[in-house]
Amino acid sequence: MPFVRFIGFSVVRAWQGFWRNAMMSLAATATVILMLVLLSALFLVISGLNAGLEFIESKVAVTAQLEDDILVPARERLIEEVAAMPGVASVEYVSPEAAWERLEAAYEETGQSLETGGADITLFASLEVSLADPDASTNVSEVLDDEPDVTRVLTKQAEYDTLLNIINLIRTVGIISVGLVGLTVLFMIINTIRIAVYSRANEIEIMRLVGASDSFIRWPFILEGILCGLIGGVVTIALVAAVWDPIQPAMVQVFQMPTAVSDQFLTTLSLLLLGVGLGVGALGSWISVRSYLAATR
Amino acid sequence: MTSLLRRRARTPDSDAPVINMVDVGMTYPNGKVALADVNVRIPSGDFVFLVGPSGAGKSTFIRLLIREQLPTHGHVTVAGRDLLRMRRGQVPALRRRIGIVFQDFRLLPSKTVGENVAFALDVTGAPGSVVRRRVPQLLSLVGLQEHVHHLPTQLSGGEQQRTAIARALVHDPAILIADEPTGNLDPVTSWEIIQLLIQINQLGTTVLMATHNQEIVNAMRRRVLALEAGHLVRDEAAAAYEREY
Repeated sequence: MPFVRFIGFSVVRAWQGFWRNAMMSLAATATVILMLVLLSALFLVISGLNAGLEFIESKVAVTAQLEDDILVPARERLIEEVAAMPGVASVEYVSPEAAWERLEAAYEETGQSLETGGADITLFASLEVSLADPDASTNVSEVLDDEPDVTRVLTKQAEYDTLLNIINLIRTVGIISVGLVGLTVLFMIINTIRIAVYSRANEIEIMRLVGASDSFIRWPFILEGILCGLIGGVVTIALVAAVWDPIQPAMVQVFQMPTAVSDQFLTTLSLLLLGVGLGVGALGSWISVRSYLAATR
Repeated sequence: MTSLLRRRARTPDSDAPVINMVDVGMTYPNGKVALADVNVRIPSGDFVFLVGPSGAGKSTFIRLLIREQLPTHGHVTVAGRDLLRMRRGQVPALRRRIGIVFQDFRLLPSKTVGENVAFALDVTGAPGSVVRRRVPQLLSLVGLQEHVHHLPTQLSGGEQQRTAIARALVHDPAILIADEPTGNLDPVTSWEIIQLLIQINQLGTTVLMATHNQEIVNAMRRRVLALEAGHLVRDEAAAAYEREY
């Protein structure tokens, strides 16, 4: 029961404190919303790019064009050797005939027919190496390059690396931006709670003199900061939910990835926004009250 | 009235000091000596005046008793607790054994008389049933039961000080420290406050009153502790404000 009384006391006083200092509290809440909106945008962009990266990762493969005159035993040896390499999922031999059939099928898909003008064209035989680990691409390429029966090695590593660099850049810039806004929000909450604490300095002094524990003094202010974060988080979630319907197809269109938006996306984003909002609110007010109590002890 | 403040029975141990200061010294970081080698022993149930000019060390004396500050040397025991060995988390429990009132009342202006008294119970986690029972009792003790819904701004100085005394008594403290409680009051009201403090003292609460009011000290003829430049220059029973030869 004492704990329930303590919680009740702290919540009621936090609520009163929030509205007593309404302008500052609402300004702090607004900055929390601004930070969380930026965080949502960053989360959306990075999720879309990550979906693209995953798609490319799944498609990263190495193709080795083989000499026309490669003998079957040499080809089988090469397949075994590559299949045994770390990070390799499978190795498939594509004969010139099978390559021709694929080319024809690809033309048919686009509604055209493959015309050779009577020429007798023979495509290269090749090995298609699927990778379990995209990082194995370089190693596999180097080994195949050294093989005398391999004429050319093709890989999607370059595209993968380019996309990875873009994602890393966006992620870094985004995290720095959100971090800077987060710091601003933190200072805003620290100041809001500091004003609240100083405006109630007499009350705090009386609380101390009549034997209130530090918890009774500290927690109402911490909860006041948490309230800013909570309201900021809930408002931002409501904003994201309100624009969610147009966002979903837009993400799929922009990132060209059907997997850019998962079923759990909104839930994950909501939990993230709520967690960050509450965390910043609690941290800011805790720092503020702690420094005040330490200075006036 | 005995049900309002627990009457403290005189037991064989009742001469044990409720306040005990041994060789207490307090020097501020700037080198100013606020207290020097003070030895004071105040038994339970005593009524003691603390006198001395401004800057003599009275405020420091009080701050040490409520553990707002620690002495630079010596030992202080209050209500059986050694203040130097006390952990910070134990200070609130000590403060509930000490009631304190000030010259400027220190009431919360936005709260009514009843709320000001209840506040001291609320912030220490007292159950609602205790608050509802205790507040009217204490307001009745100090004669303010009719003013329970009044704001401090609607009260006279004497009534504000009575509210502060009621608040100081909510935890039934062993000691009531009054720091210049009549400093802002006219003579008649001052005497009313003194009568109230005597009444509280008669119920067994030790009262330590810092004051400049010579008339009151001389009329009361109680124990007087006189401080000058941080030194305890006089500790006399049934004494006057100034030394009598």
